[in-house]
Amino acid sequence: MLEIKPIFHALCRSKVGAILLLIQIAITTAIVSNAAFIIQDRVSYLSQETGYPEQDIFVFNVMMFGKDVSPSQQYELDEAMLRQIPGVVDAAYSSNTPLSGSGSSSDFSLKPAPEESKSARTSYMFIDEHGINTYGVKLIAGRNYTEDEVIVTDNYDELSKVTVVTKTLLDELFPEGNGLGQTVYFGDIPMKIIGVIDLMKGPWLKDSRPDNVALLPFIKPGTNARFVVRTEPGQRQSVMNRVEEAMLKNYNKRVISRIRGLDDDKESYMAEDTLMMRMLIVLITILVLVTALGIFGLTLFNISKRTKQIGTRRALGARKSAIISYFLVENAMICIVGLVIGVIAAVYLGQLLMQHFSISQLDISYVLATALAVFVMSLLAVLAPAKRAANISPSIATRTI
Amino acid sequence: MFLHYLDLSWRSFKRTPLVSFLMVLAIAIGIGVTMTSLSVYHMMSADPIPEKSSDLYTVQLQTMDEGRTWWTVDNMPLQLTYQDAVNLNQANAGGKRVTMVRTGFSVYLDSDKVKPFIGQARLTTPDFFDMFNLSFIYGGVWSTQQEADAAPVVVINKELNDKLFAGENPVGKMVYLDDASYEVIGVIDDWDITTKYYDLNNGAFNKTEQLFLPFSLMKARQLENWGNTNGWKHEKTNTFNDKLNSEMVWLQFWVELKTPAEKQAYQDFLMAYMQEQQKLGRFNREKLTATLRDVNEWMQYNNVVSEDNEILVGLSFMFLAVCLANILGLLLAKFLRRAPEVGVRRALGASKRQIFFQHIVEVAMLGFLGGILGIILAQVGLLGVRQSYSYYQSLATMDLTMLLSAPVIAISTCVIAGLYPAWLVCKTNPAIYLKSQ
Repeated sequence: MLEIKPIFHALCRSKVGAILLLIQIAITTAIVSNAAFIIQDRVSYLSQETGYPEQDIFVFNVMMFGKDVSPSQQYELDEAMLRQIPGVVDAAYSSNTPLSGSGSSSDFSLKPAPEESKSARTSYMFIDEHGINTYGVKLIAGRNYTEDEVIVTDNYDELSKVTVVTKTLLDELFPEGNGLGQTVYFGDIPMKIIGVIDLMKGPWLKDSRPDNVALLPFIKPGTNARFVVRTEPGQRQSVMNRVEEAMLKNYNKRVISRIRGLDDDKESYMAEDTLMMRMLIVLITILVLVTALGIFGLTLFNISKRTKQIGTRRALGARKSAIISYFLVENAMICIVGLVIGVIAAVYLGQLLMQHFSISQLDISYVLATALAVFVMSLLAVLAPAKRAANISPSIATRTI
Repeated sequence: MFLHYLDLSWRSFKRTPLVSFLMVLAIAIGIGVTMTSLSVYHMMSADPIPEKSSDLYTVQLQTMDEGRTWWTVDNMPLQLTYQDAVNLNQANAGGKRVTMVRTGFSVYLDSDKVKPFIGQARLTTPDFFDMFNLSFIYGGVWSTQQEADAAPVVVINKELNDKLFAGENPVGKMVYLDDASYEVIGVIDDWDITTKYYDLNNGAFNKTEQLFLPFSLMKARQLENWGNTNGWKHEKTNTFNDKLNSEMVWLQFWVELKTPAEKQAYQDFLMAYMQEQQKLGRFNREKLTATLRDVNEWMQYNNVVSEDNEILVGLSFMFLAVCLANILGLLLAKFLRRAPEVGVRRALGASKRQIFFQHIVEVAMLGFLGGILGIILAQVGLLGVRQSYSYYQSLATMDLTMLLSAPVIAISTCVIAGLYPAWLVCKTNPAIYLKSQ
């Protein structure tokens, strides 16, 4: 019914055009399926939950050059002042800030160094008892540390004895689930886990352990400092505008710099991936368009070459639908062969990318979905020229012969 | 003859404007996409100091105890300890040597004209300027004596001089860095490098520093470093001196070695140095390793060109292949339709070779037009890249090499695509076409 055999014979007479189309379809399938896989990977990375109400938090850096005040005392005053600003929910000195790509990390172990024991890579932050509230993260078990447990100091004589950690870190160190209340070691310093936070990302989203975070109540500020402020929803910008002036009014021998939202930091940390995602989207969109145009053009050319043949068929009683189905079947035949080659090429390209780059195994469903999409696209590209062919009048056949 | 063919090509272009335009558009899109990713790749991987990149070496020493691992492919720490960086600089081996580290200050003047701001600084030994080919607009570098004395002097860059002193000669003037005053002794000209190859720690494409000061100031004034500090074992580093004596790595060291013999001699020196240090209780390991990498090797080792970019370049070239197949199909259609005309030309005495050449000229012209349009599209693409990622500001641009290679790539791909159709059309048997006319 589909007249596959005569169509195949006709195709064999104009091989080159068909082969070119086949190559285009194959390469398109290979590129699009791999690119779509990478795009999906980036989208899920870019849209991940961080645990923070990023829109309401901003951070800034302070660099003191005046030596006539003690930094730790000054920062206490600053914190108190920041918490008084209308619209501010809470504010705190923070030794480093999350999602920024810069911070501190160390191994937290079950036994004091240098003894060998189970350990977990952890990024840590020195912050006072306002930390949890300021970052807007959720405490799901245990308690926050109290003001008395926070050590504000200029030396290392006394160290913090308690810590609040994320659930991911707790589960890694204590898979049995009995971690709360146990002691872990930061180097050789023992610390008791008193609280557990649900979700809180560290400074490096691309780290091998982005979710392992510990808050330590130990403040030994230097001339460089970072502050974090959480505001009421919608109030952030107005507080950000005032903060430099307010800080300099408190003490002016210092520089306030890089006042930025937590989401800005996240955005610049992720900028390269956003760029990659956008470029890939542009690439596959244009690629699909170019291939569709190619199919369109080639079909048009074929029709103009076969005008007489079509006219003859129509004169001999072929219906319009037969003409349309002829071109559709012809295209589908080329397309299917191209897709088979394309699927193989896509899997091979995926293997190649996996070998040379840190890209995970290509999910075969992407290849199949792409193949289906390319097939539909090619049929659509053929449809318009095929309809035009169907409208060729039978009289054409009789005119010049 | 060439001009005549060009004229014929132009006529042919005008005769089928739509198909011709589609072909030019196809090649332009292919070139545009390829050039966008290739330009970024080119700028990322470009040799930042071609005249001496193979003479400048950075040193890595395997300081870790037996069995310890690092995240690099060869397990070597990326930077040096303070002890090693200072010892290597003082030892009498190798050519020019530079020990350095990044830091920063609050910068302000005595007057209230300039609001205090943060300045990026580099603490370095004086050979730095000579080694990395920096030229001075005003003044010059500090002396060896000043280096030894930790003299409070500073060299600033042109940008900072414009900001602080309105571009006038500032030599002899004072500038405040944190709570101390420093004498400006020199101003360096703009330093146009896209890759900050001499210190790849905190972003390979970050800007170069604005202030340069004697390295000895770090110890004398206990200045903090702003780069990465990495340790591999548990050490108490509560005081500044603890840090200087620790096994933590946080300094960069470069040495200039002009010949393979000098390089070999320096390798031998490093081995001897490590053996000597072993006697002092350091380098607790069987096999001692010291690595010398030149500028380009160092950039490759640090993966300066991102993986994403390599993938994009690969995909773009496959994209170009699709465009090529597209053009080939269109060319075939166009040329074959012209077979009767070719038949007449052949009958009038044109050789196959001439016909072939004529068609190749035609596709080359299409390629050239496509290449030019492709450059415009690539500029749009690069603008998009710059908008989306400000860090690529200086990278997402086309230099002369890229501008010239765009039409070259376009023409060569078109000619490759045109070979088969041109060959097919020049095979035309004139008799068939003469008969039917």
